[in-house]
Amino acid sequence: MIMNRRSLMTTALTLGAMKAFPGLSYAQARPLVFATFTGSWEEAHKAVLVPAFRKANADAAMVLDPMLSVDQIAKVNAAKANPPIDVMLHDPGPALVAIGQDLVEPYPVEKSAYYKDLISEAQEPMGPAPFFQVVGLTYNPEAIKTPPTSWADLWKPEFKGRVGITNLNSTLGTGWLVEIAKMRGGSEANVDPAFKAIEELKPNLAAVAANPGALATLFQQGQIDISPGNFNAIQILKARGVPVEFVAPKEGAIAFKTTIHIVKNSSNRELAFKLIEASLTPEVQTTLMNPPYLIVPTNSKVTMGGEIARVLAKDTTELKQKFVFQDWKKINEQRSAWIERFNREIKI
Amino acid sequence: MGTAPASRDVTSYGMGLAAPLALFFLFFFVAPLLQLLWLSLHNDTAALHWGLGQYLHFLTDPFSLSVLGSTLLLGAEVTAVCLVLGFPIAWLYQRVGPRLQTIIILIVLLPLLTSVVVRTFAWIVILGRQGIINATLQSLGIIDTPLKLLYTQFGVVIALAQVQMPLMTLPLITALGRIDPNLDDASCSLGAGSWRTFVRIVLPLSLPGVIAGCTLTYAAAITAFITQSLIGGGQMLFMPMYLYQQASTLQNWPFASAISIIFLLAVLVVVSVFTTLGRLSRGYGGA
Repeated sequence: MIMNRRSLMTTALTLGAMKAFPGLSYAQARPLVFATFTGSWEEAHKAVLVPAFRKANADAAMVLDPMLSVDQIAKVNAAKANPPIDVMLHDPGPALVAIGQDLVEPYPVEKSAYYKDLISEAQEPMGPAPFFQVVGLTYNPEAIKTPPTSWADLWKPEFKGRVGITNLNSTLGTGWLVEIAKMRGGSEANVDPAFKAIEELKPNLAAVAANPGALATLFQQGQIDISPGNFNAIQILKARGVPVEFVAPKEGAIAFKTTIHIVKNSSNRELAFKLIEASLTPEVQTTLMNPPYLIVPTNSKVTMGGEIARVLAKDTTELKQKFVFQDWKKINEQRSAWIERFNREIKI
Repeated sequence: MGTAPASRDVTSYGMGLAAPLALFFLFFFVAPLLQLLWLSLHNDTAALHWGLGQYLHFLTDPFSLSVLGSTLLLGAEVTAVCLVLGFPIAWLYQRVGPRLQTIIILIVLLPLLTSVVVRTFAWIVILGRQGIINATLQSLGIIDTPLKLLYTQFGVVIALAQVQMPLMTLPLITALGRIDPNLDDASCSLGAGSWRTFVRIVLPLSLPGVIAGCTLTYAAAITAFITQSLIGGGQMLFMPMYLYQQASTLQNWPFASAISIIFLLAVLVVVSVFTTLGRLSRGYGGA
């Protein structure tokens, strides 16, 4: 999730232009616009979700407009009455921001054919979760012969100077901090134990990456041998021949809900609903679960298979046992204070 | 030209030609900048309450000030490295034959022909634990355990210096090219040594190029988000990353705007110091 100066600038310019020329966003019939994420998400949605949606809806016109969550929120905020996006995709933190700013509509649950089949954690009335992102331990099997089993393994003396983490800018970094806090007696409301734990981790820390993507590079370069990591990102690295393995720690793998929302005042409300329905179908979720995508499904009718069944969970019951869900409402309340504290305290 | 109005001055055409670019800047640079300023003058994230709270927060917070300080220092270090390494190349360029000149110019320009991201990743490969530097030093038996080069201030300075080097070398080549080579010979024949000739003749005459190169390198180095974050990592915080964190992760746009404005002003101060030095140097060079 690298965001460069140019994309930041583009957002700023768009905002400026929208303010200066309200006419730019005046109403007109346009295809359904789905703001997915960039990178592997866009590829997966282009190849699987879009064809499934068009097949089910008489080739209805739609476009993917991949952008970061923050850009989605900024764009919709700039033209609330006539938003340029119909469907948004969010990590748990930004999803709550979008809901808090009144940018999304409640999902028409009673109309939905698939909502009730979702596992209970994915049933979000303001926008269901069609996918999970899973964070566990990533390690280099060539350097580490005994697979790690717990978050606590990161503190082992044998990993001196071999551990990588990311800062709290990312969902991954923040979620990991909360999990470490819980392991040491803290909670979403109290991460003091986690900061103490990171203090003790310092001798082992080889790198504090600016984003999860940078961790991948560090594995490739042998800079680190073990780190918290995103299941999907690791599969992509593995497919490219980098020696990395993923394990779900015994405390449970951290699961983030990626939620999908109908934008308030969307001019394509009906099609937006249909697109979200398509993303919840067992067919789409099964295809996305298989290689090369390996996206964790949320529909309980999907039979787990392949790498996901091997490494994560064989069925929904096991998935519920092995996954840890976090309270992002609580996390969001203090996240900025944690980021500030991390900025100040974590220097290696 | 009896038909032309007598009062028309030939120099007035210049303004008309600049109008398209001026308009472009007005809409796409000045307007967003004003909006940024407007946003920064609000105390809350929803931008409803006016106030100077964001600026007060930044300017009274030792941590924020230290981020600003370390960013400005980083720029100074990179500029110094570029100047020390770039000057000899520019000097050499003026003293070799045309074939070597082509090769030098190619080497200088080469970094500009590849993307910053690619160049930065190359530095990760060079500076890493198993990177070229560590592997060489280890095989020569100079060190036992790999040096920590990546994710250090040293690493960021070296990588930025290479990435921004053309911005320093090109103005220097131009400035040194304008110096009459006979001045060197004259200085020597009048009894000055080569060091004295350099300090009293070459350096003062090349000052405009030095100032231009320093300004460009400095501005580029302190705003280089990609290189700073990839080589510096997540625990070394410079202004661009600080700004990104506030805007993107925390959605605190007013504070992010205030950071931008403060950063902009700080850079303007540094640049105007360079420009003043440049103006002074013109007097010096002419003397």
